[in-house]
Amino acid sequence: MTALSIALIVVGLFFLAVAALGMVRLPDVYTRSHAVALTDSLGAFFLLAGLALNQGFSTNLVRILVVLALLYLLNPVISHATVRAALRAGVKPWGEDRR
Amino acid sequence: MNIFLLFVLDILAVMIIIYLYRVIRGPTLYDRVLGLNGISTKAIIILIVIGTVYDRVEMFVDISTGYALLNLVGVLAITKYLEQREAPS
Amino acid sequence: MNRRFDRYLVYKALTLFVIWLLLTASYTPAHMALGFVASFGVALLNTDAGRPPGVAIRWLQLLQFLPWLFGRILISGLHLSFLILHPKLPIAPALIRYRTKLSHEPGIVLLGSSITLTPGTVTAEAQSDELIVHAIDGESLDDLQSQRLESKVADVFRIRKSAE
Repeated sequence: MTALSIALIVVGLFFLAVAALGMVRLPDVYTRSHAVALTDSLGAFFLLAGLALNQGFSTNLVRILVVLALLYLLNPVISHATVRAALRAGVKPWGEDRR
Repeated sequence: MNIFLLFVLDILAVMIIIYLYRVIRGPTLYDRVLGLNGISTKAIIILIVIGTVYDRVEMFVDISTGYALLNLVGVLAITKYLEQREAPS
Repeated sequence: MNRRFDRYLVYKALTLFVIWLLLTASYTPAHMALGFVASFGVALLNTDAGRPPGVAIRWLQLLQFLPWLFGRILISGLHLSFLILHPKLPIAPALIRYRTKLSHEPGIVLLGSSITLTPGTVTAEAQSDELIVHAIDGESLDDLQSQRLESKVADVFRIRKSAE
């Protein structure tokens, strides 16, 4: 049980690190929002799943899963709102002039 | 297990510093909002890791739920304000 | 009309009460009663929000849809990680317009949330039946342009006959 939860946490940390790297490397708001989506959907999922597995079968496991479900419900709304505000304000997407 | 979780906390703190670079540096306002959103997701994860370390998950889950909702309301307020400001009144 | 109204109020209050039960730390009768009163109070205050939308959710299809969506998220997340870790950063971002055939709001909300939740695509604007989608790569758009995602989302909902 412990080994499996450590493995899940390490996978989650890998996705979080990739997303942080993407936050630095990617060129504009829209592409960076993809990196944040990677954090929210995969990194948080694997890390919280590892922590929940570490709790064993108790009510704490269900509580951590509630937080995870909340993240999955709320984060699309947040990144959609940010990207929509950027688009309405007229921020130019990177690479649009090359086509 | 606890030693490992302390290492995880360190790595997450370093990631928050990377996001902070984007918040301070970000060319547009929207980059900063996006970076703050990433930081608060990290904060939620960190709170639950701390709860696991101290064996008080039921308390820290409440705090992180509140943090997630506060983050939603904050980001929506900021983006609504920015949209209103851009519109010709 | 009044009976349906009351039924939705009870559903809402029971959902809130289940969330209370999941989040609370103590199960003494006093706390349970407090949670019951609080969830019914919140449901009463919010009677105007969340009117019955004229479609019904097929729960069995939803239970099939969510694991499928998670599999797609995993695959496109791995693809996006490959793009970010590649030294040359081979991204080709594009803004596309996507016209959907879904006619009801819950379907469009679920479609837009699924698009945003999948790494590599994000919904930038959602008018009545036209979505503007930003994609990092042509490959991320595969599911959307082959209309696989939309048909799966359409399967989840059933249009109710006598919508008020």
